[in-house]
Amino acid sequence: MAKHFERKGRRLLGFNLQSWIKGFFGGNAGLSIVILFLICLFLVLEAVRFFPSHHQELKLSQKSGQEYVDYVIREADEYQNLVSFTNQAYFQELDARFGIERGVVDSFGVFQGMIEDDAGDEMDGLEEARDEEDPAALKEAEAAYQAAVARIVNEADRKMVDSFGRLAENDEAWRSVKEAASSYDAVEEEIPAFVEEAETKMTEGMASFEEAKALISSSGVPLKDLRSKLVKIAASIKDDAIADLTASARKEALLEGAEKVEGEAREAKLAEAGKIVIQDEFPFAERIKPIVAAHGDHVAAVATLREKIQEGIGRLPSEFSSEPAEKLVGKIRKLEPKFIEALDESIEESGQWKWDDEIDWVSSVTKFFFGKDWTTNSEWRQVYGFLPLFTGSIIISLIALCIAVPLSIGAAIYVNRLSTKWEQTFIKPAIEMIQAIPSIVLGFFGIMVLGNILLEYSSSPWISWLPGFPITERLNMLNAGMLLALMAVPTIFTLCEDALNNVPRSFSEASLALGASKLQTVNKVIVPAAISGILAAVLLGLGRVIGETMVVLLVAGNKISMPEWSAGLGVIAQPSHTMTGIIAQEMGEVSSGTLHYRALFLVGLVLFTISLTINVAAQKIIKRLGNHA
Amino acid sequence: MTETSVTTDPAAAPSVASNEPIIAIDDLSFSYDLGKTNTLRNISLEIPAGKVTAFIGPSGCGKSTLLRCLNRMNDLVDTAKVTTGRISILGQDINAPDVEAIELRKHVGMVFQKYNPFPKSIYENVAYGLRVQGIKNKGILDQAVEESLQKAALWGEVKDRLDSSALGLSGGQQQRLCIARTIAVKPRIVLMDEPCSALDPIATARIEELIAELQEDFTIVIVTHNMQQATRVSDRTAFFYLGELIEYDETQIIFGNPSIKQTEDYVSGRFG
Repeated sequence: MAKHFERKGRRLLGFNLQSWIKGFFGGNAGLSIVILFLICLFLVLEAVRFFPSHHQELKLSQKSGQEYVDYVIREADEYQNLVSFTNQAYFQELDARFGIERGVVDSFGVFQGMIEDDAGDEMDGLEEARDEEDPAALKEAEAAYQAAVARIVNEADRKMVDSFGRLAENDEAWRSVKEAASSYDAVEEEIPAFVEEAETKMTEGMASFEEAKALISSSGVPLKDLRSKLVKIAASIKDDAIADLTASARKEALLEGAEKVEGEAREAKLAEAGKIVIQDEFPFAERIKPIVAAHGDHVAAVATLREKIQEGIGRLPSEFSSEPAEKLVGKIRKLEPKFIEALDESIEESGQWKWDDEIDWVSSVTKFFFGKDWTTNSEWRQVYGFLPLFTGSIIISLIALCIAVPLSIGAAIYVNRLSTKWEQTFIKPAIEMIQAIPSIVLGFFGIMVLGNILLEYSSSPWISWLPGFPITERLNMLNAGMLLALMAVPTIFTLCEDALNNVPRSFSEASLALGASKLQTVNKVIVPAAISGILAAVLLGLGRVIGETMVVLLVAGNKISMPEWSAGLGVIAQPSHTMTGIIAQEMGEVSSGTLHYRALFLVGLVLFTISLTINVAAQKIIKRLGNHA
Repeated sequence: MTETSVTTDPAAAPSVASNEPIIAIDDLSFSYDLGKTNTLRNISLEIPAGKVTAFIGPSGCGKSTLLRCLNRMNDLVDTAKVTTGRISILGQDINAPDVEAIELRKHVGMVFQKYNPFPKSIYENVAYGLRVQGIKNKGILDQAVEESLQKAALWGEVKDRLDSSALGLSGGQQQRLCIARTIAVKPRIVLMDEPCSALDPIATARIEELIAELQEDFTIVIVTHNMQQATRVSDRTAFFYLGELIEYDETQIIFGNPSIKQTEDYVSGRFG
């Protein structure tokens, strides 16, 4: 025992108060590091396990023939696009040329339907009365029927003029439709002459268009039939293969369950377990045969389609009464060569397709990172291609930076070097206040206000020449980028301002004393001296933007597809989905452990890596280039 | 306190009469707070061309403020204001409304207390003043850089590394570089605000030698805390105390036989 200088104070478990406090603070710091580590570990573990599952999914898709069927599906989808453009054009033209006639026919048809639905009882009564040949009853039934019809017609008069705008400006036609509808015979027995006449007029007037349309619609029938046939086969192979994969596990579970129950339930479980056959290997080679054999049909169907659709498109009229129809047909004609080319390519590729090619590990990775489709809610097949999400995020971030960087650097230079004291006290807090706007509010603003403004004013002649203008979608990347720019401005501004502030006063004094103006001083001395800080500010702004979720989820349009690069710079006006948006949107509906769940985690991991890289790079830049403070 | 006590001593005047004064300060009062309190009060003095004039005085006496009035560096302070009087340089009132401070500073250069080269190459530092005047011709710039560095006695030390960063030079070299940068724009007057206070004695000695050489081409006004320095480098000395000019005369007279007690007390080290 020391005689002097002994340690004083009470001790708990061998530590005095000082050590305990020190331990408490150290523990806090340590805990945050441990939590960070655990989050990273969890993220990485979940994400990396995506690849084996993805590999298996790809193998299954290949061996079940889904890959092959996808060729047919893509062909049929593209064909369907052309068909729907044709139909749209047809009806536009029909409306433009025979609007009244179409209104007459359609509204008469609707009347018929309404009367049959709403006055069915009265109609039955009238029919009965007619059969019974009792004049009093007949009269009563007729009156009841007339009253019901009058009610319906009155109601329709209020509503239908609006929903069938084609007749709104032609009272006479509308009146004759109403009158005709009031008579029992016209509805039940024979169609009135003027309706029939209208119908004939329409059919005759549109005959050549109709013919072309029919040719186009019929050209793809064999392909569509083939598609539905093959889809069924492939899906059933895949289902069975999955069932086979889990067979032994299911059997085991049933047997185990049977142990726990008695009597009939036990018998039932045992019987079910007995039905499960465990195969050594799933007979893909046997099952795939019909799909492999279908290639001949496929080639034939495409040949038919190719021939007929070219003829059909050739027969489409070249003069139109309706402008939209003319545009649509122009579009069809423009798409035709691409479509034909794609068909040929698809046939060639599908001819080389083999169900038993080995799929390696690398393709499980590359198909994720370079895949251009992300389809998760389809029963047919799940496809996880990350590229559209990545490009969406990057384009939106670039738009945001292009807007935010000049704004915030300009503002920072102005506030820091050129403004008066009074302006400073006002501008700085105002810009920093932007940060206080919740992102959901910004998103709401983007949907309700900015989107509409862009939509409305982008067609005005003085800006409609800009790439992507006039805008056709209210929710798009430009809209989201503009809002994100607003969110990035405070970050970049504040950091830039700090960087400019760190430039010693003596630099600007020296410059001014040499006869430089304030602007020259800013350009040649202050900004170069602060450039590292400014770069870091921009990078951190990018980090802020790329990780933002709510605004892009609400405003970017959430369309999962690659942008159409053919639009050039105009891609900025297209809708898109993002890495953050997809996680927020789909995480709620996946069950844990599934391929989809892990795909989302992988997207999260990529996002995390990007953010981390940006932050580290920002710090490196500050260190490397140094600050001349 | 005696108001405007001794300005240009009539007895000393003839010695500078042959030269027109290049700077004439007449009854100047100056305030940093829009005239509430005057930092400088009723200062009148004339600085001859081609000479070295030293401003001395204890801290806070206003000597640096007066120096910064001469190239209007005080404009950077929003609330700074000349309350009375005028400063004429080369016969022009420099606070007249149509005088541009930027143009003035091209003729009245300044070297600061703490050497402050830009974080650029040595060459770019010297060329800066010419570049902001819009001179782009490489030949002119090269020549001006070499000339200025030679005048600043730095050429031999840096001629092989003009493109390396100025921040890699020693303190004394950096200060000489700042002098080279200032004289590159060929000002008529060079103001020096305690140019040696951040330097060691050897670097100080070199700067003092340099000042003596530069005197041939430039009028130099130097503020210094160091009275030995004032006696070594200056021809004339002004002593300031609490914002007023106490005495202004030939340097030998100020340090040898000052006519005012306060000056004598200060130069002999009794206060300050």
